[in-house]
Amino acid sequence: MKTNKIFAALAAITLFVSCEEFQPVFTVDYENPSPAKPVEMTATHTIADVAQMYTNGTFKASEYYRVKDYIVVSGVVSTTDQPGNFYKSLYIQDETGGIEVKIGKNALYNDYLPGQKLYVLCQDLSVGQYGLGSNGNGMIQIGFSDPSGSYETSYLESPIIINTHVFTGEKGNPVTPVVLKESELPGSSDTQKTNKNVGRLVTITDLTYGWDDPKYGDHNEAFVLLYLDSNKDKKASSNRIFISGSGTGITTWAMSKAKMTEYLYSGIWDNVYIGNAKDYNYGTVGDRKGDGTYPTIEKAAGSVSQYFHTPSGKCVQIRTSGFCKFSDTEIDPAVLAGTKKISVTGILCLYQGNIQMVVNNIDDIKIQ
Amino acid sequence: MILALALSFMAWAQSPTGGIKASVVSRGDKVPVSNAKVALQKDGITLTTAITAEDGSFYFKDLPDGPYSLSVDAEEYTPIQINVLIEKGNVRNLMFVTLTPQQSNNDLDDSNFAEFDLDDSGYTDAPTILFGSNDVFTSVAGYGFSAIRFKNRGYDSESQDVYLAGVPINDAITGYSPFSLWSGLNEAMRSKDTTLGLSTSDVGVGGFNGVTNINAMPENVRPGWRFSALTNSALYRLRLMANYASGQLDNGWSFAFNVSARLGGNDWVKGVYYRSFAFYAGLSKKFADAHRFSIVAFATPGQRGAQNASTQEVYNLMGDNMYNSNWGYQNGKVRNSRVRITCEPVIILKYAFNPSSALKAEATVLYRTGYNGYTALDWYDASDPRPDYYRNLPSYAYIEDEDYNRTNEEKAAWSQYAWTHRGKEYNNYQHLNWDRLYNVNYNNPDGRSKYALEERRVDQNDLNIALNVKWSPLDYLTLNAGLNGRINRTENYKIMNDLLGGTYYLNIDSFAERDFASNEALIQNDLDYFLKNGSAEKITKNGKYGYDYYAQIRRGKAWFNLTYKKNFLTAYAAGSIGVDAFWREGLVRKGLFAGLDDEGKEIIYQGKVLTTYDAEGNVISSKGKSATSTFLVGSAKVGIAYDFIGGHRISANAGFFADAPTFNQSFISARTRNSLVAGLKDKKTVSADVNYQYNNNGFSVRLTGFFTKIYNQTDVMSFYDDSQQSFTNFAMTGIDQRHLGLEAGVKVPLGVQGLSLSAVVSFGEYIYTSTPHMVQTVDNNSSIIRNEDVPYWSKHPIFKIAGYVDGVPVYDEDAEGNPIIQGYQKHYVPSTPQLATALALNYRTSSYWFFELNGQFFTNSYLDMNPLYRTHFACGGGDGVETPAEIIYMTSQEKFDPAFLLNLSVGKSWYINRKYNIGFSLEGKNLLNNKNVKTGGYEQTRLISSQGKDRYYRFDPKYFYMQGINYMLNIYFRF
Repeated sequence: MKTNKIFAALAAITLFVSCEEFQPVFTVDYENPSPAKPVEMTATHTIADVAQMYTNGTFKASEYYRVKDYIVVSGVVSTTDQPGNFYKSLYIQDETGGIEVKIGKNALYNDYLPGQKLYVLCQDLSVGQYGLGSNGNGMIQIGFSDPSGSYETSYLESPIIINTHVFTGEKGNPVTPVVLKESELPGSSDTQKTNKNVGRLVTITDLTYGWDDPKYGDHNEAFVLLYLDSNKDKKASSNRIFISGSGTGITTWAMSKAKMTEYLYSGIWDNVYIGNAKDYNYGTVGDRKGDGTYPTIEKAAGSVSQYFHTPSGKCVQIRTSGFCKFSDTEIDPAVLAGTKKISVTGILCLYQGNIQMVVNNIDDIKIQ
Repeated sequence: MILALALSFMAWAQSPTGGIKASVVSRGDKVPVSNAKVALQKDGITLTTAITAEDGSFYFKDLPDGPYSLSVDAEEYTPIQINVLIEKGNVRNLMFVTLTPQQSNNDLDDSNFAEFDLDDSGYTDAPTILFGSNDVFTSVAGYGFSAIRFKNRGYDSESQDVYLAGVPINDAITGYSPFSLWSGLNEAMRSKDTTLGLSTSDVGVGGFNGVTNINAMPENVRPGWRFSALTNSALYRLRLMANYASGQLDNGWSFAFNVSARLGGNDWVKGVYYRSFAFYAGLSKKFADAHRFSIVAFATPGQRGAQNASTQEVYNLMGDNMYNSNWGYQNGKVRNSRVRITCEPVIILKYAFNPSSALKAEATVLYRTGYNGYTALDWYDASDPRPDYYRNLPSYAYIEDEDYNRTNEEKAAWSQYAWTHRGKEYNNYQHLNWDRLYNVNYNNPDGRSKYALEERRVDQNDLNIALNVKWSPLDYLTLNAGLNGRINRTENYKIMNDLLGGTYYLNIDSFAERDFASNEALIQNDLDYFLKNGSAEKITKNGKYGYDYYAQIRRGKAWFNLTYKKNFLTAYAAGSIGVDAFWREGLVRKGLFAGLDDEGKEIIYQGKVLTTYDAEGNVISSKGKSATSTFLVGSAKVGIAYDFIGGHRISANAGFFADAPTFNQSFISARTRNSLVAGLKDKKTVSADVNYQYNNNGFSVRLTGFFTKIYNQTDVMSFYDDSQQSFTNFAMTGIDQRHLGLEAGVKVPLGVQGLSLSAVVSFGEYIYTSTPHMVQTVDNNSSIIRNEDVPYWSKHPIFKIAGYVDGVPVYDEDAEGNPIIQGYQKHYVPSTPQLATALALNYRTSSYWFFELNGQFFTNSYLDMNPLYRTHFACGGGDGVETPAEIIYMTSQEKFDPAFLLNLSVGKSWYINRKYNIGFSLEGKNLLNNKNVKTGGYEQTRLISSQGKDRYYRFDPKYFYMQGINYMLNIYFRF
């Protein structure tokens, strides 16, 4: 009888404890979860294969470049968004090339470590190109469909899309950049399929500041696009300020909001026209000086392309985000003066056929 | 025992022999007590007994001269004895014999009040009305309206004056009534005196929303042993309580203790749980009949998981309006990220001097200390871990209206899938993914945590002194007067509760880092540490970090209340005057608001001046003392009441109050700097009420009309804004509101003994009446983001409609092309029904059964507004042009649907040998299982830009819902 009662009491307690509502009541210390195990999958295609499939029209614009087949690519993460020059996105690379995976979350480096192997199940995702222009190719990327028509792909964004398509494998094998010869640099119509260095982490040496454009015969140093009000239509000519060519006064790799404000207030852009090329109907920056604070011009971070040339005169831009932590780092005056050369390690990208190097961090740019 | 002889007068009676007559009434509001047993004794021998009539009256006739003693005993009241002397053959009319209620009728208690203190949303854990009184309105509404979060007359919790042992206990920082200090000590805290509305009390002048004094002294605790076990489905599964009180012993000692444990979760909100304990001990000694010393100590240590509000989209996806985004599974176990962890002991010392029935004086010292923590996830350079983060929802990918420019239906369908499927594999989309947070931390080889669990501490050291005197120099004149003093030092800071698998967290302001990456000094939470050590501190478990400051408060107040009471007339005049001073004292120097160093010099780091100044040229400082804000506060009240023969009573009160703004409404960002809200003024209130009461033959009626106008209120809202990547603060000043309404309660006996019907109604119009001013700042820099009036706060225009195209109104225009304004729509004081009614059928048998069936109807409840949506800026959109459609869309205030609720309670108690009492009460709430009743919520202070950038859209508001059907069963045993 007595044992029955004890048993009944124990059963009642067990019932209570097993009930989920009592878990936080009785759990004083939550044990640390065990580390996630690396996923093992097999890639069905190389990155070059996927680029090839894009080029040959396997993924149709009418279907938002959607991948219908079971295609798995794998690669090692070559970028980090920690310093912020990459944003919401990362690159993986295999032997055949590198490709951007537009995941669409902040601080991806926490979940996808540089040197970690990723498997991307492309089925239901989209493979599209960004930066295609009349002058040449852009980059083939893995993203999600974009019915808005703005781009060929959008970010994955939705956690369930990410978790069911991007799988994490073994960590700890960081990629080693390949030092490229000039001859190995891609041409304006190359892709990941035709040049395995596209999208991969590479080093380019012997770069000198500035580039003479043989087509227009002008000298380019820096390029940045600013908006009078980013809350308004960004495509309207009246809302745009292009600062480009030579003598832009920009001496940093990019510019944070504070640095942009400093440049603006200094008056170095006062003669810059507002509007797209051939549409200079909106006056100059200087017209909007006001009390010196340029009240009708938005103070915002600006991403800058700095122009360099190889010994044979090929253009290599270094593209840096105004939101990254090293955006306001000054370029060595000797580099700006063309008396010192640099080497740069970054993802080799094409934008409208031009080579753009995107670095992970400031120490990827070295003075030779 | 308190014996109140309301009035006695000598009648030159014609009868040859003497007599005694009186009405037995309940204390506080003079409700008649029928069926009370009155025994007439002489020299210790009972001569005769009488049972009081429906109106509480009794009459002993034909008594010879001499001393008698009356003992009055009624169910649920504390028995009393009165000595009466009959002389010269007169009939002594005692008018009223007052009994103190021993317990509320069906043993309900405030255990069912949701402790609902979602700080971030402005919710507090106060019950709506305290039901210590037997007022017909409050007896139905006080407990019954709590589930809907009814606010008495539309007033804020902070207007409710709560005293503990004669000491004002409203929180020094927020003004709220800190009920959680003694929750779980229902027995020890049961004895209380409550006044309503503008009425004054023995412990203070009070405001316009009643005064409650919880006696808390051991001699006031119901004597004997009492054990109870309670289970309920609304808050916690189980409460166990034990209580013992000695009553006053012959040697003058009284002692009492009360302990309880509240454990478990509930049927509705997952992740909400209690692990709370409560302890009370009190000891008092009466010396030489006139002196009493008491000491009381209590604490309610424990923790409980909190609930969070979500948008309707999330509730619909989950198919559950009770969805709580605060928890997730860790190693398969439920873990809540928002846990309140408290231990705030209170010690009270009291000396009472009571030399005669005409004089009573008390000196009380109350000290509150301990800690009050509230955990929350903190993260540095990592994605937002909340499952219902708006970017994880289908609406972020797709909204039908093309103007939102969210066109990706397919992506929305994926998100929809993750939210609408049930099963283990979807838990991490619908709930916090603890395992991932740990794994992110594991990924940092040096042990730096990216995700951590912070604990926001609000630790009070609160010393209060109260001196209260009650003196009746003449039998028709009573003076209550007192002095109150308060010294409060509350430390606000964060500690590291859990590093979630990492070994340290870096003490920097991650929000500042994005804007001020180039200057490491600016991102420091503790600049002094950084300057000394060259790097930010690595915080380990339990380490202080983030912010750290004292809220310092000093208060002093003198008050009086002079009451004249003769025959049928009662009149009083009361007033108070005092000083309320407060300042902030920063304990760490934040890089962004470095201020001046100890020598008063600017602080320079690597050649850059860190010291910043506001628009007036004052240094913005995080460390050291702020300017002291001093306010002269006071109040004045008058009232009059007249009792007519037959149980009618008419009374009227009027009052004026000048109150200081509370500390938490006075600093634009107390976490980070000493800057005060500009234009800080004292809050002024005028209020008046008129009351009619009738109590006779089992009928009870109360009818009250009230009017209150509050001027110059301040409100500071603070929340994390991921578009600014910072905490953003909205300080609103100059908020006026007006409360006008009627409150009525009727109780009617229905012929059968013990059966009665009660009806109550509270109907008012609580509106905003001014155009406040708003200043928006962020924590990660000193600039003012917005600084403007809020023109659509109190109302918005109604435009003339010319017609409809596809159901969309087209607005008429005048000759100049301007829209035609036809009138204005008022905006209302939110989060309470402005019309609340209830009908209750009550049956009570002589064998101690009781039944109550209760139907309630609520309507005219509104959503809390944010100021941003009521500005020209928000209505103008990107093009700055305000159109009628934009104004109507942006400024309208949501009105909640009406609600009907049905409740039933039943109970019974048994007396065994008149010594043991065992009983139960069972309550079923919301029997119709209505799960669609919004009780409150808030608008998110964010805007979405349209595709053409010419207008703005709102973010979805977040709501709280009332729970569906609930039970509460309480079983008790006492002897």
